[in-house]
Amino acid sequence: MSSRIEILNDGGFRSDGRKQYELRDITIDLSQQGTADGSATITHGLTQVLVTVFGPREAKMRSQTLHDRAVLNVEMSVAPFSTGERRKRSRADRRILELAAMIASTFEPVVQTTLYPRSQIDIYVHVLQQDGSLLPACINATTLALITAGVPLHDFVCAVTGGVHSTSPLLDLTTLEENDLPHMTVAVMPRTRKVTLVTMETRLHVDRFRELFELACEAGQTIHKEMKAAVKERTVTLVGAMDAGSKPGVVDDRDRDVVMGESI
Amino acid sequence: MAAVSLSKSERAYIQSSLKAHPPLRADGRGLLDFRTVLLETGVAPLANGSARLNIGKMAREGGGGTEVVAAVKLEVEDVETGDGVDGGRVVCSVTCSPAAYSHLSSNALDELQHDLSVILQQTIAHPTLHPTLHPKNLTIIPRKKAWLLNLDAVVLADAGNVVDALFMAARAALWDAKVPRTRAVQYRAPETLKSPRNDAPGAMDVDEGTSGFDTRDMARTAADFELPDYWDEGEVLDGRDKWPICVTLNLLPSVHLLDATLAEEASIPLRLHLMFSFAPSAPPILQSMRLLGPAELELKDLKDSIAVGERYAKELFTALESKLREEDNRRNIKARDRFALMR
Repeated sequence: MSSRIEILNDGGFRSDGRKQYELRDITIDLSQQGTADGSATITHGLTQVLVTVFGPREAKMRSQTLHDRAVLNVEMSVAPFSTGERRKRSRADRRILELAAMIASTFEPVVQTTLYPRSQIDIYVHVLQQDGSLLPACINATTLALITAGVPLHDFVCAVTGGVHSTSPLLDLTTLEENDLPHMTVAVMPRTRKVTLVTMETRLHVDRFRELFELACEAGQTIHKEMKAAVKERTVTLVGAMDAGSKPGVVDDRDRDVVMGESI
Repeated sequence: MAAVSLSKSERAYIQSSLKAHPPLRADGRGLLDFRTVLLETGVAPLANGSARLNIGKMAREGGGGTEVVAAVKLEVEDVETGDGVDGGRVVCSVTCSPAAYSHLSSNALDELQHDLSVILQQTIAHPTLHPTLHPKNLTIIPRKKAWLLNLDAVVLADAGNVVDALFMAARAALWDAKVPRTRAVQYRAPETLKSPRNDAPGAMDVDEGTSGFDTRDMARTAADFELPDYWDEGEVLDGRDKWPICVTLNLLPSVHLLDATLAEEASIPLRLHLMFSFAPSAPPILQSMRLLGPAELELKDLKDSIAVGERYAKELFTALESKLREEDNRRNIKARDRFALMR
């Protein structure tokens, strides 16, 4: 089971030089992509995911709509060059469908779908590079893309993976660590302190679960700070652009729904 | 490529303004002006070469435009088992994001992907039609092992002129590609084993003669290869100056325009894709051409179009070439200098 590379050395450092609870560098880009209503590119270390959101809009297939709420349609594509070994996955690949279904079920309780009956929200996820923690990156990018698209959400959704090396928990695993350790992904709603996703594909001792789960929830709060800062920065830019556009002398009486400041 | 729906009057409006004197385009460009082209190489760390290209990104908003990511990945193929071809092979594929063509159904998207893949594959990687383009350093061990070069392009957003963008991104990724150095290896039993000498007890076991991993002069008999640990990622792909670029002439009788936006593409009856290769110190080669659209073209006009197309392609080629050299410089020489400073 053990690999030649030390997962956690005696000094308490991991193979990429991080400490046990240290997260990788997160970069967020919220600039517009093509004709999408909202888009976000998130980079967690070497994992890079681009998500674009269209909608709420009329569904292409009327039969798939629901009369009382909007439908979330998640489509995922993985670039063939994103992994170490080249592999072209079709859109009907099992693994991809499963990830897409997980993303959809994570966001169903978070998006206020009842506001848009008989419509569809399309979420397109592009995986450009992957080095572990793929699902959390997809979920975090989807949250940000939905926010930039102006889709009403109950809260942010912040996800992170955690694993256990013998008895010591680690956060934000790379591919190398994911291959060797039991790990799970947790998605939390930081403000309401609810959890929308817990998924685990490996065996984990039940005694370790509690500690790891609490740690992942705490890490979710940290990621939330990063995401909030990015959203705030973009909103400030937009407000600045609105002010620059208004003519002097004209009373600006538009009601602004950007008092996001401290309330979130 | 994918027609956006455009009303008859919109089409007539765009056509008449293009034919006006002076011609007018919605974004204020001249007929032969390109939008801003942005290029970055080395965007995918796990690939052997990669590039991201954007045509027409808005400077202020930081969005919009046609965006293509292309990456080259090399795989080892066994020639003897019939998977590979002696001398290596090149396979191209294009994936279109559903976000770029949100009005298309998934079947239509598959067709579009296939169309673009075929254009790319037939122009740059056809084994019999374009033998001159085939890189010579894809052989690992003659008649045994060869590299399979996968060129994958992803269209992330389409704001018109996707074929030109695709070819530029492909050229940049191929330019950036590095082929890992290999060394042929053969195992040969040491001579000493065949004639065991009974030396005095306690004599040191001296390594004589040839090593079991002698790697000289055995390209013909080599069984396998190894990857020597070396400071760089390998040598550049052979013939990287020759990869073609595409220029698309949008023909509206009496005028033609370059780098059309989606609305212009939808209102123009005829499109001519010309793929030129400009090898250094050789005349330009027209690698392939495609005429698309419902209208027709006289033979004389076609000849004129190819002649002017070559001129535009040359300009595009020169600009791309200088940008690629600049990127090379940024990523290799400057990075090395920075590293030297840090030490």
